[in-house]
This record gives sequence, structure tokens and C-alpha cells, in this order.
Amino acid sequence: MIQVENLTMKYTYGPSFLVPHATFLPGEIATVIGRNGSGKSTFLRALAGQMPYEGSIRIGEKELKTLNPIERARQIAFLPQNVNVAHLSVKMLVEHGRYPYHGNVRRLNKEDDEHVERALFMAGLSDLSGRELGELSGGEQRRAFLAMVIAQNTPMILLDEPTTYMDHRYQEDFYEVLKKLAGEGKGIVMVCHDIVQSFTYSDRIFLMQDRCLSEGMTPEELAKEEACLRENFGAVMKKDSDPKALYRYTMKR
Amino acid sequence: MKKNRTIAGFMIGIFLVSLLWALFAGNSAISTKEIIQVLIGKGTSVQQTILFRVRIPRIVAAAFTGAALSVSGFLLQNSLNNVLASPGILGIHNGAGLFVLLYAWLFPYRYAGKGIAAFLGALLVTAVIYLLTTKTGISKTSVVLSGVAISALCLSGIDMIISLKPETVADRTAFSLGGFGSLNSTAVWMAVPVIVIVLFVSILTAPALDLMLLGDEVASGLGLSVRRYRILHITCAALLSGAAVSMCGIIGFVGLIVPNVVRLFYRGKSRGALLFVVLLGAEFLLICDTLGRVLFFPYELPCGLFLSLIGAPFLIWMLIRRRKRLGVK
Repeated sequence: MIQVENLTMKYTYGPSFLVPHATFLPGEIATVIGRNGSGKSTFLRALAGQMPYEGSIRIGEKELKTLNPIERARQIAFLPQNVNVAHLSVKMLVEHGRYPYHGNVRRLNKEDDEHVERALFMAGLSDLSGRELGELSGGEQRRAFLAMVIAQNTPMILLDEPTTYMDHRYQEDFYEVLKKLAGEGKGIVMVCHDIVQSFTYSDRIFLMQDRCLSEGMTPEELAKEEACLRENFGAVMKKDSDPKALYRYTMKR
Repeated sequence: MKKNRTIAGFMIGIFLVSLLWALFAGNSAISTKEIIQVLIGKGTSVQQTILFRVRIPRIVAAAFTGAALSVSGFLLQNSLNNVLASPGILGIHNGAGLFVLLYAWLFPYRYAGKGIAAFLGALLVTAVIYLLTTKTGISKTSVVLSGVAISALCLSGIDMIISLKPETVADRTAFSLGGFGSLNSTAVWMAVPVIVIVLFVSILTAPALDLMLLGDEVASGLGLSVRRYRILHITCAALLSGAAVSMCGIIGFVGLIVPNVVRLFYRGKSRGALLFVVLLGAEFLLICDTLGRVLFFPYELPCGLFLSLIGAPFLIWMLIRRRKRLGVK
């Protein structure tokens, strides 16, 4: 669980962002939405311990600032929006997910291998494990990085725009993996610019508005805040009752 | 895995052959038979001097310099995520050159301390880079720009000394045409332990290089203290380069060529790549130095010159290849 209280994040020469209170629970998919530049990614970076902040971020019982990088990486896995595609195989990338447990010295053991194989299987990459990252499509590369994050086996997973470069089919598969992880008790916090997907797959949604994060709401609750949605996205969300509809919600003017 | 083992075996074979070639080839008046006699303890004192005071230190210096410069380039390329990075860009070569010239100015005709002066210059530049990067942030760009600034500063210092003391030009030329012809054994025995220790540290911390290749945010998310490891690896690169330069002057392009050649055939983790880089760097410089000794016998070509002849076209080829890979027409 991640608990945030009176959080202020500030760039040296930029605006500051505020989060009065937020709690991210294990076993749920929480999504942060908002307009471009609203501070969604900044907030996620602060949760990942990669952004200076004032206030409190508690991971379980401990304050985030008091954790060393290895302790932090055993509690929180973070997949940023921009990654470098290095010259290595998919399996080697996923093995990097075990770094918080073996560091520079220890070799991968049987338990590490099991986590790696499982992560590859969950991400649907078992058949591609020997392929070079550079040979894969953008969507497959994103899944490979997700597998690395799964192999990290942390209670909380932070994902910044995870479905970028993915076609619809890959996106669906991706969210199914997230649901499975949440079903296993992992807490997922992600930033997503696709409002329809956010409403369809999230348990709770946090809206970043005027550089301030709102309290989390279920998609049903947020859909009722029509004025707020219209102000931020120029549209409202309506539940689609058609059982054959791809998404549970549609955007309406 | 099997392919890597085959390549490693092949490279170890080449290394051994190049070692033997470097040992037995040469322009001193000592034959193969005499070398074998010296090795089994039967040679004359002159032959022993040639072998143990000249040729073997030279072989040791060439092999360790090759390994050190190559690993230095590899560390910089991985930690700065730039395959075109090499020790020269951090200003280490020019820092060492400046100190050699300062030494030549202050202590003319005393050659023994030049290696130490070069090493001190390289160390000082390392310290300045460390301070600058910690003050300006440790981003990849600030490291490179700090290096460029220091390099320019050292170069202006060199030009100033040459303007004030034109007789130091000869020292400058000898230093920039790196080679093992006028090797100082004190510098060798000072530099080799530094290289061995830093190589060990580099190999031990190689997994951190793998993570840094994925980007700073990913690496940090995996529990790596990116800032600490980047400083560590840049310091290691500077120490390796400084130790090498103190033995033989400026030998360019090794740090650029060798890691990139290894990347052409090796796809794997950095620890494995480092072992190939050490081996290839050592044998590459050994071969270049021996070629320089025998090719125009009785004259000797500095191996730095050889490497520039090979390195410059290689750099151009790499830029073209990179452009093609990116699909730029």
C-alpha cells in the first residue's frame, strides 16, 4: 500500500504540483488521468522515488525517503514512459528484473529463474524470449519491459503510459495481465492518457486537475462529475450497455 | 553461449600467438634460440637485460595498455550511453599531456618522471571531472560537456607552454605519438597494479552497466544508484586511461574501436563483454606494437600512428553504418 499526505513536487524552474491525500491499495488498478502537462508523470516519478518532494509518501510502514534504492526496488517496480532499447535478448532484459535481489555479485538462482519464466509467460513472451529486443515491434518491446517489471515481484507496480505503441489487441492482452497481477494482490498505479481505457479497466481513477490530484473515485462516481470531465477533456463518459461493446464506457460531447 | 565460447577460445589462441610473436620478434640483436636460452636461465647478462628490462616490460605495457584503454572506452560508452564516447573526450589525454609538458619545462632532460607526471595529470583531470559533474549534475550531457571544457583548458595550457618554451615541442610530439619505444619501466610497474585493481572493480560492477543501458529511470527503478555508479565508472575509465597514458603517451582510437568490435559479435551482458574487451584490447595493441617494430625494421613506427591509420577509417565506417541502421538516407 502507498499512502500520500500533503505531497508537494516542484521542478527548479517550473510549476509545483500538490497531492493533499491519496491511498493506493494492494489488489486494485488505480489510474491517474489528466490533461497534458497536468503533472501525472511527475507524480508517478515521485512515487517511484525519482523526484524530490516535500510531504510524506509511505510504502507500507516505511517512509519512501528512508529506503535505500535496493529496498525501494523490492517494494515498488516502475516502468517509465521512455526506455532505451538495448542490444540484448528479451530473456536477459527480464532477468534484469531480479537485480534488486542479486545485485552485482550473486548469480541468478532457481527462484530467480522461476520468476523470470513466469513473467515471460504472463506477458505472453515465452516464444520470443530468445529474440533481440531491437527485432521486436514497439508493442512487443513494451510487453518485454512489463515482463521485467513483473519479474521484479514487488507489492506495488507503477506504469507510465504503458500501452503506448500497442495496437488494440495488445492493449486488451496487456490489461488482462494487469488484472491478473491485481488478482494476485499487487497494487497497480498507472498514468494513462486514454480516458476510455482508464474508465474500462480501472478500479479507481485519480484526476490531476489544476496541478492538484483529486481523491480517487470509481469510474461510476467520476462519470457523474460531468462538469469536471467536460472542463478537463471536453467530453463526458457514458456507460455503454451494449454487451458487444469493446469498452464499458464511451466518450460523448 | 556455445558461439561465445568458440570466439573466446579463438581469441585466447590469437592472444597467445601475439604474445609469442611479440616476444620473439624484434630489432635487438637477440635470436629466437638465445631468447629460449635466456628463458631457461642460460643467457648472457646482455641478453637477460634485453629480454627482462626491455622486451618483456614492453609486452606487459602493450597488453595492459590495450586492455586498459579498451575497458576505459567500454565503461564510458555504456555509462554515457554513447557508442562514440572514448577516453579522449573526457580530457584525460590532454590533461596528461599538459602535465608532461609542465614537467619537461620545469625539469628539462629528466625523462624518468614523465610517466608519473602524465599519471598525475590524468588523476587531476579525473578529480576535476568528478567535482564538475557532482556540481553540475551527473547527466550524460553534463559529463561530456565537462570533459570537452577541461580538454580545451588543458589544450590551451599546452599551447601556452609551447609558446613560452618552444624547446618543449619535442616532448609534446613524442607524447602525442604514443608508443612503447621509449618505455619507462618505473611507469609500467606503477601503472600495472592500478590497471589490475580497476579492471577487477569494473568486472565486479559490470551488471550496473547493463541497467544503465536501459535508461536512467529504468535503472533507478531496478534499485541502481545511477549517480553513484556513473561516477564510479567514469572514475574507473579515467584511472585506466591515465595509467595507460602514463606508460606510452596518447594512443587514440583503441577505446573507441575495441568495444565496438566486441559489440559486433557479442550479444550479452556487460560482464561477458568486458572479458572480450580486455582480451581483444590486449592482443590488438600487442599486434600493432609488434608490427610497428618489424614492418620497417630497422626503423620503428609508434603504434599510436598505426592505430590512427586504422581508427580514423573505422570511425567513419561506424558513422555510416549507424546512419544506415537508423534508416537515414
